[in-house]
Parts: sequence; structure tokens; C-alpha cells
Amino acid sequence: MTGDILRLLMLVLQLGFVALLYLALMRFAGSLLKDLRNAERAQLASRSGIGSLSVIDSPGDEPPAGSTISLGPINSIGRNVNNTIYVEDDFVSTNHAMLTFRGHSWFVEDQGSTNGTYINGHRIDRPVALSFGDELTIGRVRMRLDR
Amino acid sequence: MRIAWRGVEFRLLLPILLLVPLGFVVTHIALSGTVEAGPLEIAIGYVAILVAAHLLLVAAGHRGDQLLLPAVGAMGAVGMIMLNRLPQELAGTSALGIELGMAATQLLWFAIGIAAMLAIAIGVRDDGVLRHYKYSWAAIGIGLLAATLLIGYEVNGARLWIDLGPVSVQPGEFLKIVLVVFIAAYLAETRTLLTSARMRIGFLSVPPLPYFLPMLALFAVVMLIVVRLNDLGTALLFFGTFLTMLFVATGRRSYVLIGLILFLGGSFVAYQLFGHVQARIDVWLDPFADPLGAGFQPVRAIYALGRGGVFGEGLGQGLITLGGSLTIPFVHTDFIFTAVAEELGLLGAFALLGFAAVVVFRGLRIAALARDDFSGLLAVGLTASLGLQALIIIAGNTKLVPLTGITLPFVSYGGSSILASFIMVGLLLSISHRSATGADERES
Repeated sequence: MTGDILRLLMLVLQLGFVALLYLALMRFAGSLLKDLRNAERAQLASRSGIGSLSVIDSPGDEPPAGSTISLGPINSIGRNVNNTIYVEDDFVSTNHAMLTFRGHSWFVEDQGSTNGTYINGHRIDRPVALSFGDELTIGRVRMRLDR
Repeated sequence: MRIAWRGVEFRLLLPILLLVPLGFVVTHIALSGTVEAGPLEIAIGYVAILVAAHLLLVAAGHRGDQLLLPAVGAMGAVGMIMLNRLPQELAGTSALGIELGMAATQLLWFAIGIAAMLAIAIGVRDDGVLRHYKYSWAAIGIGLLAATLLIGYEVNGARLWIDLGPVSVQPGEFLKIVLVVFIAAYLAETRTLLTSARMRIGFLSVPPLPYFLPMLALFAVVMLIVVRLNDLGTALLFFGTFLTMLFVATGRRSYVLIGLILFLGGSFVAYQLFGHVQARIDVWLDPFADPLGAGFQPVRAIYALGRGGVFGEGLGQGLITLGGSLTIPFVHTDFIFTAVAEELGLLGAFALLGFAAVVVFRGLRIAALARDDFSGLLAVGLTASLGLQALIIIAGNTKLVPLTGITLPFVSYGGSSILASFIMVGLLLSISHRSATGADERES
């Protein structure tokens, strides 16, 4: 008699355990689905573009440090106000560098500037491909290429 | 630092917190045949560790992924229940005059692992240290392997262990992380060169060698040593992770194709040259040829899977020991999946696979949302490593591929494995925290 009760109790507990295991899994599935839907909506809301520059350091405060510049496929950088990205710094040339998106990558090319263009601390002498996360230094202005 | 309520994580953790004590009670009743709860210290300890991890992440204002901790917590929960149910004298430590059984030792390693995970998730604020010192990391990795080769000792024909006083560590587990960091840093730097430059040999386009050579050289050294150490599972894992990262970085199918051809060629050569490789393959093809010798372990594992069936024998009711000895040797490490499948059946095994799939899914999502190439590739590598490791050992358990002795992450018994796996989750959390806070800055 007690054996039967024990067996019944065991069955209930075992089923309860598996049910709890699957309840946990169902909750995960729910969270994943919700997250996917949100991501889809967020993507529709902001077609985020091909990349952006985050300004790390900017002594002249134009562009202001901490700001983010969203990029088009072709961007000119320099001290001339007609540049796509206008930089206020004495060490920056009038037309300093070009930042372009070709194929699947970003490229930067120095436009014969006086003080040069630096990628992760190395001066460039030809068009160079950039990775996201690379640091671009123009004059005293440091910027990071982000997605 | 603001507090960040991690509501999703809390909601997901709740059923798991109930799962562990319930599993402990069920196994105790089944094993003792009496209706009483039995000792619950270890279950409560496990629950406390997960709750503490959750609260610390909340207090630190961590904005990283909220599904990872519950998912690995669930895998760990199933593992703890199984390890607590197995004979405790299978493994354990006796340090500082305290004797700890297998489950208690595992709990201790969980505490250490979660602490490491939190330290990395909260402490690593930028990836500079990982990224810029990539050659130092590579050197550390080689050093680890060389140390194993020189002062390591063998267990079951594979020299994987280094004795460090009270604990033995498996350097391979940590080498895995170091290698992923190195490859991610290297690929992030040379990715554009590897994709844009073209060299063709016949119909295959091969990577331009000058950019590729340092990585290939490192990889050859690692593979050589791993094969010297007779650690085939780890070699397979490294190779799979490497190919995945290479494919994600370059998007070139031809690289994967070359890799697979190399792998097939390498496997064939290894089969011809090394006796232990040959033995493994032969056992895999026909374990019943020598059911009491070489095929003992796989044959017993197949029977255990069969006993489990769809619904399982029930927790605590599987045939783990027979006449005082284990029915499957190494059931607590290599064959933990078989033990789960025997007691919880196909249902339980699927649930475990489901939790592992959640980890992989979230890892890849973290990679997709990462702000820079290095973080993205690092996340891909860590995820691939965790996922492939689970895949290789589960496939080995079920005789889908030849068995190789590696652990099932978060489930198998083993300090090095638990600690390394949690370090990887910590890195993933830190990457996802950075992309979450970065997105905010951009909006404001």
C-alpha cells in the first residue's frame, strides 16, 4: 500500500520536474520571440545607415567631443566649412581627408594635408580600408568609426 | 552608475530556482525510498549563487543580455541534479582539511566561475587590453600548451592536466579563450585585406599568404601540440571555431571549403599514423566488436539511452551503478548527457539542447549587435566554441561522431571547464553591455 503511494508520488514529482523544465524553456522561447519582434520594429524605425563617427577628443569643440556624426557614402573632412564634416582645429588642413564607403568597407584617403591622417596611431600614405572600431585622428581630433 | 532592473532575467530565473530543489528532493526520494526531502544545502547554495549573480548585475547597472545567465543557469541546474545523484566519491577535493564530495566541489567551482563572470562582465569596460596585446595572448596560449607538454600528466592516454597543489587544471580549456581572442583581434585587423585581395589557384580563391601566414603558423603549432597531447576533441573544437570565425570575418565560402579539405586530409593522415585515432574510429564504427573491452563505454551508453526512451527512467531511477561499479565509466564528465537522457529521457535531453540553443542564439545576436569588428568576431568565436563543444560531445555520446573526451559546458563535472565557460559568458555579457550603452549615447 505504502509502496503504491510512493510510486504515485514519484510519478507526480517526476512529471512536475519535466513540466517545470519545459515551462522554463517556453519562457525562453517567449522572450526570444518578443525580442525578435522588437528588433524588427527598431530596424524599421531607424534604417540606421552605413556607419557613424563618434568624436572622442576635440580641442576646438567642433565637432563637439562625445557627439556622433552619421555618415553618408562620401564624406570630406577639413577646416573649410564646405566639407561634409567640418572640423575646427588649427592642425587640420582646409581639405584634409576623404572618408568613403565602397563595396562593403570604409576607406580613408589623405588629401595632401599638412599634418597627415592617422589610423590607430599610424600615419597613412595611401587609401586605407577601415574596420569598425578603428580610430581616425585628424589634427588633434580623434574619432572612432562605429556601426 | 544607475541600477538597471533586469526584469526578463528575473522572470526566466524563477522556474530554474525551483527546479534545483525539486530535482534534489525527487532524486533523494527515489534513491532512499522514503518520503523526506533529504539534504538540500547544495541545492540552496546553487540557488543562492544564481540570485546573487542576478542582484549584483542589477546593482552594477549592467545592461547586457538578460537571457544568457538564466540559460546557462538552467544547464548548470540539470548538471548539478545529476552530479548530486551520482556516487559522490567519483570525484572531489580535500583541501585545507575539508573533504568535499563531487556535487559540493562542483558547487564551489560554480561560485568561482560566476564570480569570474561577474568580474569580467562588470569590470571589462573596453576591449583595449584584449585587442592590442594580441601577440602577448598568443604567447600565453603557446606557453600554456608548452607547460602541459612538459609538466602535464596523463589521464586516459591524453596529457591534459597540470598539477597545481590542491587543484589540477586543464590548460586547454583556457587556451580556447586565449586563442579566440587572438584570432578575433587578428581578423578584425586584416579582414578587409583578406576579403579584398584575391589570389586564385584553379577555381579556389585562396587568402593572400602574407596576411594569413602568422595566423596559419600559430594554428599549425597549436594543432601539432594538441595532437601530440592526444586531445582530439579539443583539436576538432579549435578547428571548427577557427573556420567559423574565418567565414564570418570574410564571408568567403572558398575558405571554408579549403578548411574542410584540409580537415579531411588531416583526419586521414592521423588515422594512418596514430594508433589511438584508429582505435577511436574503429570503436565508433562497431562498438559491439569488443563489447567488454574497447567498446565497453559506448555500448553501455547506447544501452543507457535505450533504457531512457522518450520519457526516461525517472530522476534517481536510472541504472547508474551495477554491482558497485559504474555502468558507464566517466558518466560525470564525458557521458553526463547520456545520464540525463537515461533519467529524463528524450524529453529532458531536448530541453537541455534547447537551453544550449538559447545560449548560441543569444551569443550570435550579441555578435550581430556589436559595435566594432573585434567585439563582433570575439562574440562569434566564443559562441561557436561553446556551441561546438556541446555539439561534439553530445554527438559523441549518441554515437553520431567518434567519441572525443571533452566536457559538456556548464553540465559536466570539472573545475577548469566550468570556470572557462563562465569566463566566456562574462566576455559575451561585457560585449553586449557595451553595445547597449553605446546605442543609448547615440540616441541622446
